[in-house]
Formats: sequence, C-alpha cells, structure tokens
Amino acid sequence: MSPAGPDTLGSAALREAPLIPGGYQGGALVVDAATGACERLGLPEQVLRDYLGGVGLATWLMHRLAPPGVDPLAPAAPLAFVFSPLVGTPLTTSAKFAVVAKSPLTGMLNDALASSHFAIAGKLTGHDAIVVRGAAAEPSVLVIDAGGVRIEPAGELWGLPAAEAEARLRERLGPAWRIAAIGPAGERLVRYATISHDGRHAGRGGLGAVLGAKRVKAVAVRASSGRVPLADPAAVQAAARDLRSRSFGPATAKYRELGTLANLLAFNELSTLPTRNFTAASFAAAPQLAAENLAELRLRARSSCASCTIGCEHIYDVKGGGSVRVEYENVFALGPLCGVSDPDDVLAASARCDELGLDTISTGGTIAWAMECAERGLVDAPWLRFGDGEALLRAIGEIGSRTGLGDLLADGSRRAAERVGGGSAAFAPHVKGLELPGYEPRTLQAMALGLAVNARGADHNRSGAYEADFSDELDRLAGGEAHVHAAIATEDRAAVMDSLILCKFLRRAFAEPFAEWAVLLRAVTGWDVTAAELERTARRIVLAKRLFNLREGWTRADDWLPQRFLEEPLEVASGRTAALSPERLRAMIGRYYEARGLDDDGVPRPEPLQELGLA
Amino acid sequence: MGSPKAALEWHGSTLLRRVTGIVDRAVDGPVVVVRAPGQELPPLAAGVEVVDDAREGRGPLQGLAAGLAALEGRAGAAYVSSTDVPLVHPAFVRAVAAALDGDVDVALPMVHGYPQPLAATYRVALRPLVDELLAADRLRPAFLFERCRVRRLDEAALLADRRLAAADPELLSVINVNEPADLEAARARPAPAVTVVRFGALRRLPGPARATVQAATLGAAATTAGLELGEHVVAAINGDRIARDPELPLAAGDKVALLAADAGG
Repeated sequence: MSPAGPDTLGSAALREAPLIPGGYQGGALVVDAATGACERLGLPEQVLRDYLGGVGLATWLMHRLAPPGVDPLAPAAPLAFVFSPLVGTPLTTSAKFAVVAKSPLTGMLNDALASSHFAIAGKLTGHDAIVVRGAAAEPSVLVIDAGGVRIEPAGELWGLPAAEAEARLRERLGPAWRIAAIGPAGERLVRYATISHDGRHAGRGGLGAVLGAKRVKAVAVRASSGRVPLADPAAVQAAARDLRSRSFGPATAKYRELGTLANLLAFNELSTLPTRNFTAASFAAAPQLAAENLAELRLRARSSCASCTIGCEHIYDVKGGGSVRVEYENVFALGPLCGVSDPDDVLAASARCDELGLDTISTGGTIAWAMECAERGLVDAPWLRFGDGEALLRAIGEIGSRTGLGDLLADGSRRAAERVGGGSAAFAPHVKGLELPGYEPRTLQAMALGLAVNARGADHNRSGAYEADFSDELDRLAGGEAHVHAAIATEDRAAVMDSLILCKFLRRAFAEPFAEWAVLLRAVTGWDVTAAELERTARRIVLAKRLFNLREGWTRADDWLPQRFLEEPLEVASGRTAALSPERLRAMIGRYYEARGLDDDGVPRPEPLQELGLA
Repeated sequence: MGSPKAALEWHGSTLLRRVTGIVDRAVDGPVVVVRAPGQELPPLAAGVEVVDDAREGRGPLQGLAAGLAALEGRAGAAYVSSTDVPLVHPAFVRAVAAALDGDVDVALPMVHGYPQPLAATYRVALRPLVDELLAADRLRPAFLFERCRVRRLDEAALLADRRLAAADPELLSVINVNEPADLEAARARPAPAVTVVRFGALRRLPGPARATVQAATLGAAATTAGLELGEHVVAAINGDRIARDPELPLAAGDKVALLAADAGG
C-alpha cells in the first residue's frame, strides 16, 4: 500500500463473497448524521482476520472511510465505534470497544478504548462497527438497534454532563438502551473532549469534539435478543473459566486492591512521577495523594467494568458530595503535574473533568504548561500558579466553557504554545499534540522511545514500554538496544490486545501471550490462527497506523520528544543523573525504524508492506 | 587467611560477590574481575566479566594491566578495588570515580594515613604505561604514580561529598581484611542498617510498612518484610534500578523499596 493510496487497503478482499466467522457480525454500519441514512459495509473474512477488531479493524476502516486530509471536525470526518471478536463472550474483560477518528488534537489517527455494556449492546445491534459521518442540523442523538437507525432531536440534552444526558435519554428510551454521550466540552469542540458511557471515558485525543462537531450528543444502542455465534462454545467456556481464575491471582492484585493509583507513591520513589510540568520527577506531597493513604479515608466503593472479574475501579468520595472514579493518571495530571497537593482539590478537579467530558491527562498537561507560562510571564494569568487548587478548578471550568484563558487552553498545549510563543514550545508536554501521561521519559528511557514513536502520540496504552523500565531487564536510565526491543515488543502486544480486545490489566496473566491469544481466537472464530500469525497481525496494525499518519502529513520530526526532556537532566534519589540526550533518542529511534522495516525517514520500506499485505 | 579471600563469607555473601555488587551499583560501565590464571571464583552476578592475570604473583600493577586492557574501548576510567573490603560503600566508589576529571590520570584516596591504590580510579589509557613498568619489573603502584598525574584525595576532600559523608563518615570503605583477626572484626560488625519500605498492595501485609533493619543483601531485606523477591515482587534500591536478585549487596543507609512487579498501567 502506498501512503497515498488508502483505498487499496484490503480492497481486493472486499470483492470476495462474505463469510462470517464466529465472533463477528460481518459488517459495519455507516450512518450519516445529517440524514439518518445508513449503509452496511461488508467486512470480508480476510479483513477481519488481518485486523481482528477494535483498534486494528478501526485502522482499516479509517483508511477506507476517512477522506485524505479531512479536517477532523468537518462533517466528512468519520468516527467509528468498533467492537471485537471477543465482545459478548464470557471471557473476562472482553466487554470493550474502541472509538476511533482522526484526532482534532493531533491531526493523526486516534483510538480510545472504553469498557461497558455499550460494547455488548452495540455489537448485538448486528454490526462489528458503527461509523458516524456527516453532521446533524441540530443537537441530536443517534438511536440504533437491530431494527435500524433513527435520529432524534436532543436540544434538551445539549449542555448537560454526559452522565446526566445518558440518564435522561435512558428514561426516554428505556432501560435496555446503552448510551455513549459527550459532555459540554465535546459540544464546545475542546480538542481533548471525551466520549463516555457509564462513567467510563474513551478519553484521549478529542473524540468527544468529533462527535460534538456532528452535533451528536449521544449514540444509543440496544441489543437484539440474538447472540453472536462462536466456533467452539465449549472451548470458549473452558478458556473463560481458566482466564477468570487467573484474573483473581497475584498478577492483578495491584489493580484489585488499590487500583492504578497504587502507582503514584511507587513512581514518586522511582523519580518517575512528573511534577510541576515535568520540572521534577518526585513530589514532596505525594503521600497525601497516595492510594495507600487515601483509600482508607475516601474509598466509597470498588467496582468492575462489564464482564470483568478484576475489579480495578476505586470510587472515592469527593468533599462536598458526590464521588469520582480514581485512577493514577487523573491524580497525577491534576495533582503533582500541577503542583497541587490537596486531595480535595485533586478529586474535585477530576470530578469536574468528568462532568465536562475532558481528558484528565491533556487537561492537566495543558494547565501545567499554562501555569509555567504564567509564572514566566508568558500569559497574562497571574491567578494561575502551581499548587493552587482553586486556580486549577477555575482553569478547568474555563476550558470546558471556552471562556477567558480556557479558549486558548481548549486547543491543547501544542497549539497554545504556537500562539503564545516565547519559547514555550520547549516545555509544552506533548508528542504529536497529545499530552504526556504520567511516565517521566528521562527516568524511563524505553518508555521515552515508546512515547516518541507511537502513532497516537504520547501514550502509555499503545506503547507499554514502561513494563521493561520497571523490570530488572534493563537500566531504565541508559536507553539503548534493549530499550528498543522492549518498546517494539510492548507496542506489538498492545496492538493485539487492543484489537481482540482484552484489558491490559490482564497482561501479566499471560505467560505466552501471542500463543494464548491465538487459542482464544481459535475457539471464538474457528480460524487456525497461530502465535506467529498474531505477531504478524501486530506488526500489520502498527504499520497500518503509521501509514494513515503518513497520509495525513506525518513527518519524522513528529517522532520526537519536547526539548525539555533532552536538555534538562534529572537526578534520582541514588545520586545518579538521568539524562536523555538528543543523540541517544535519535539512535534509539533509528534502531526502532530499522527493526520495524522503516527507512531513515520513518516510512515503511516495500518489503514489510509486501509481507504484511499492505502493499 | 587459610582460604581465598574472594570466597570468605560476610553476612551471607562472599566478599567477591559483595564487592562486585557494590561497585556495579556505583558505576555505569562493565564490572571486570581479574583473577590468577585458572583461579576458581565463587559465583558472580550475571554480566560480571572475568579476565586472567597474564602472570601470577606480580602484584597489583599486573592485575591493573589486565583489568584496563579488558575495558579498552568501552570505558574511559576504571574504579579499582581489592576483593577484601566488606564495608566498601557505593557512595565511596562514586566519590572517587567522580574525582577523576580531565586534569588527572588517577584519583587516589589517602585514608587512615595511607594511599589506597586498590580503592582508586585510573584512566584506562594508562595501560601502555603500566605495561612498560611491568616490563621493567617496576611493580609497585608508586612507580606508576611517579609517571602520571595523580589527584590525592585526603579524608577532608572525600568527606566534602555530602552523600559519602552521610553514608560512610569514618571511611570504612577502605578497611580490608588481611588477617583472621581482621575478618573476625569485620564479621563482628552488624550487617548494614537499611530502611525497608513496602509500597502499594504490599503495604497491606501484616507488619509495619516502613522499618529499619539490618540486612547485607536484598533477599535478606525482603525476608525481614515477609516477602520473597520474584515474579510478583521486585525492589528498587534508593529509587534507582529495579532488581530482584536476592544476592544483591546492600550498604549502610540504603532504602529498599519493595514493589509489585507490575508497576505502571
């Protein structure tokens, strides 16, 4: 496949007669939000086998359906809810879906996952994906079940938090309906607005703004009474029992007992906790925000996603009423990254982001950048200071309403830095426009590479190279060959997990992941798929994402880290210096390109494209 | 001593395992052990290299030549240690290594009234000069120091390093064991006092989450916390590298963080 020829991606397969393997519905529903007209795009078996579902299938769909160079907020830009072969099976953590579009934040391919009954109901409408194109004339909801699609006006829902809109719409439609909705931030086209269902967000990259631009407040789906056939139901049941028992073991204990917030104090100890816009990697007040301490005081409940036996969700009380789901990423981004140490302020900020429908990582990253700008006198906002919880809440409110400074910050740190200037781009904490998650690249140098080269931008879910950094396999302060291999291996594993889809919190429950995933997929689909085939699938998906980005204007300069990380060393507690020089990063990227079959400019060479069916 | 010094035991480790482990914690480059030709060594950590003296019984310069030769092209300088210093501290190694700058070829501690050539840093490029001295049977380190630029580090200079001053104020790092009585005295000292802290879900186990204990190895420290290092539990010493090798030596003042192995996510 040439970078300029997306329609060639699998076009030959499309001409084949459709065969529907177990676990699939065999097609995608493509809806025009302007008219309600819809069509079914057949998904031939070879396409499904090559791209699986979730993020992989979504990548194929975006190549085919997104016009080259399309403005992500234009009516022509497609947004897809994509399910997977495992959705609806009894396999633990499989009730997940991917939401995918060209990101208004990065201008590149963006996918975000969420877990809920929306996945099961969406797939049981009879489709492997639901794609929305066009834009409604007025605020609307899309209502989809096995009987078809209709567009209903939703003026009374416009302006509501997603959770409230979801509740009201369910009252209107009935309890069998599952609803994914946007909050006020999506309506106002904040470039890092989320789409959420049941309080869980498809969070990164501004997918809520894409739906908001289509004036679609929500998408409601209802399951038919049918089931998706499985090739070997007994084998699926046996695998589900085995996986369930493993999900109770030590491999998932951390998530079950304290949730991902358990990372915070450990990261602080390891100098990997980004603090005050990445000017430090440890935070003196970290214990105040740590799960080890907060859980005893604040934990209201533990909960699970649909079809999940891990139970990672930890719901904390918010001062003044209400509650909020707490994760490491929202506490890191709204706490240490902004220098805020009062847990009341951090939890309130997190709850406010949920109400508005804002990605907490990009919100915290952009505000932290603005705090540094304010302290340097680059923006006129003397009220905005590191450590000031009230200022944090004010900034979040202004972003959600696009008022005052919020109108600038609603476009993310990259665009804001371009407008503010004054050297602020050097410390704008993003890659490809996506704000960094809570993993300090200087002290996690495998992760540094993963952050730099990943298609989505600075991301910890599509590149989990931190796994190697947090092991004894390599020296996390001395990036080199081992770090490159770790970054590739974790990116490949993520590509398959995000396409099957299985929760990454299960990752340590798999001793031989590709082989074990092949067993699951065989039982569901009947395919004679092997570990080797899935390893090729992973590479295909990774390269297909890169090809999409190339088509949309990616250049090698986009695979890079902000200047701050390359010029300002950190000292870890042992006294060692953590420095990531441009030369070291360039060398790791060069080796990554070589190992991935890319040329010096990061463009795929013909050989891997031929091998993986992308030519 | 009645047995090879390398194999002598100190609080659960051989001296060789301990000294190589401490040096490895303090430097970024490879760790090389120089032995007499064919000498049997106790077990070493993965990655530690072993080279042979070209000739046996010719003193420290002969070993220095072999060690520097092994490092050529891979390191600019080498911290050189004898194997019989159970109290050597990473902060001492770092301080002496850091004292070698572009102006000198050797950083030589002068501690307890003596020069300490086997607790010093040497520029790898000195190897031809060392070979020349060996060829001339000038086998004492003092002959080398006459021919190159030496920075002598007295106790005050060493203790100006705040981390070293805190970790080893008496500069016990250079105390070696030459006689059985020395070994007995070293063994009479307690294992290093270290702080052990459990993080995350490990904190919910019985017992205090943070305790000061005496432990000479990572495994011993984990045991005091009721944990075993392995697939699900790892450790970080002083917030640095992640480890799960129970033989990894600890030094006074270390902080051992015990963590779930699945940090991140």
